[in-house]
Amino acid sequence: MDFDVSQLSAIGPIVALTVAGCFLLLLEAFAGGRQRAYLMPLTLAAVAVALVLEAGQWRDAQLATSAFHGLLAVDRFSILLSSVFLVGCGMTALLAPAYMKEHEFEFGEFYALLIFATAGMIILAQATDFVTIFLGIETMSIAVYVLTGSWRNSAKSAEGAMKYFMVGAFATSVLLYGIALIYGATGTTALAEIARQAPRVSQAPLFIVGFLLVIVALGFKIAAVPFHMWAPDAYEGAPTPVTAFMATTVKAAGFATLIRLVATTFSRTELAYGSSGWASILSWLAVLTMTLGNLGALRQDNVKRMLAYSSIAHAGYLLVGVVAIAVVGADARGPLIYYLVAYTFTTIGAFGVVAWIGNKNDERVMIDDWAGLASRHPAQALAMTLFMLSLGGFPPTAGFFGKFYVFRAALEKPTLIWLVVVAVLNSVISVYYYLRVVTAMYFREPGRELRPLRSNGVTAALLIAAFGVLAIGILPSWLIDAANAALFLQ
Amino acid sequence: MIPIHWFLELAAVLFVVGSLGVILRRNALIMLMGIELQLNAANLTLVAFSRAYHDAHAQAFAFIVIAVAAAEAAVGLAILVGIFRNRRSVNVDELTIMKH
Repeated sequence: MDFDVSQLSAIGPIVALTVAGCFLLLLEAFAGGRQRAYLMPLTLAAVAVALVLEAGQWRDAQLATSAFHGLLAVDRFSILLSSVFLVGCGMTALLAPAYMKEHEFEFGEFYALLIFATAGMIILAQATDFVTIFLGIETMSIAVYVLTGSWRNSAKSAEGAMKYFMVGAFATSVLLYGIALIYGATGTTALAEIARQAPRVSQAPLFIVGFLLVIVALGFKIAAVPFHMWAPDAYEGAPTPVTAFMATTVKAAGFATLIRLVATTFSRTELAYGSSGWASILSWLAVLTMTLGNLGALRQDNVKRMLAYSSIAHAGYLLVGVVAIAVVGADARGPLIYYLVAYTFTTIGAFGVVAWIGNKNDERVMIDDWAGLASRHPAQALAMTLFMLSLGGFPPTAGFFGKFYVFRAALEKPTLIWLVVVAVLNSVISVYYYLRVVTAMYFREPGRELRPLRSNGVTAALLIAAFGVLAIGILPSWLIDAANAALFLQ
Repeated sequence: MIPIHWFLELAAVLFVVGSLGVILRRNALIMLMGIELQLNAANLTLVAFSRAYHDAHAQAFAFIVIAVAAAEAAVGLAILVGIFRNRRSVNVDELTIMKH
């Protein structure tokens, strides 16, 4: 297959984002502070253009196609996940300007980095070769390291960035060494070809060590226990809009890679390892991640840090979905995609409220600061309640159906019942710390005066998040149908 | 021709040394050097296998890795400078303002 120009349409959204990011950088460099007001709308425009291109691909992608010698796939799975990343990027951009102005670290590169990170995630969603997986992870991670440390006058931000960078770079080199070993065992980096060679190499030590290293590296990226120690500090230290971005889209991009790996290569029965294949390792990771994430969240009085631990716990529920894909088959990916969409809207909304409430030198993230919020700002308190209920998994919110579909998919196999029981017990525990925020807002006397951000962007982001949580919670069928129909390049 | 296992063993040793550097040392600069060592171990493995298989793909991959690693090191050093400005030290054990 030779190169031809029509293949460029496969990377249309990536190209659009990259061009927009470079343009924003130039605008910042040459127009300086005068044009800053235009940066956020331009970012939204770039996201809109990329979404339109994704929609065009959705119409064309009746069959999954492959481009650039099998390096990238264009299938409905990648299009759906890319759209999630783009929506997350847009909502983060809406939250950012007022927050950066209040905390006095305005700089225009922020938006360019946001866009470059999103481009990296789209590469990851489309990647069907370890070369593009590596490239996508790095494009995303390097931009997010900088975003984490972008709050330059905050010592917490620098510290969070340092921890995130060290652990992230370590994970990258582990990933690369794993890829090199797998290449040594199979002579290829293409996922489909590795799956084809599976019967021959599945018991080769080189191959087993290689895949273990790859799983460990992805565990770091999605913050699965025991590879999560960076996450609470990085999430707490980062500027809150960036935390929202990291906790949702970056995690979703890691899961996109994991889903593709599990559905193409691990699904071969020849890759058995232990009692029930690679799945047994992943299910223990899921148990540890859910339980320790929840136990960490239980003892937090800091709402931002509590949400950081809660996002670790949610990675555990998502891993249950990944195990279901590995055991039940690629058909179980629909619930996982639904969960990722539901989780993205809910978590960005929750962090959006955290970003909204703080002032300069006073982030107001302790739970006591939230006491009596409902009597002063009923709309925002209602929105936060909605997000907490969705994270806890109450109907009729999106979070309820996310958990319902994922757990139901796992129940297809009787061997996974124990895992679902653990997951349900964990979500019951999690209700305690989510409702603690709600009771503080509604049933406690107001404390100090609040001076929250006044910004149309923040309001818009919260409205979009609340609308998303309710819309896919009350009418879940269209999204789960689209997710189930998300064709997958095999 | 030098047999391939020499390259692989050297790479494995480099990777372990790099990992230990990241895990055991507390100076952020040394940790960064450990990460570079790990990346180069992976590159060496890729290129050694690539020669054994007479397949140029992995050599091209190694070049991509070199470029990406340079970008990563640049960002890492920038973050390190930020930390140093804040507290005049790059010892990671002193990064504890968020411990709970």
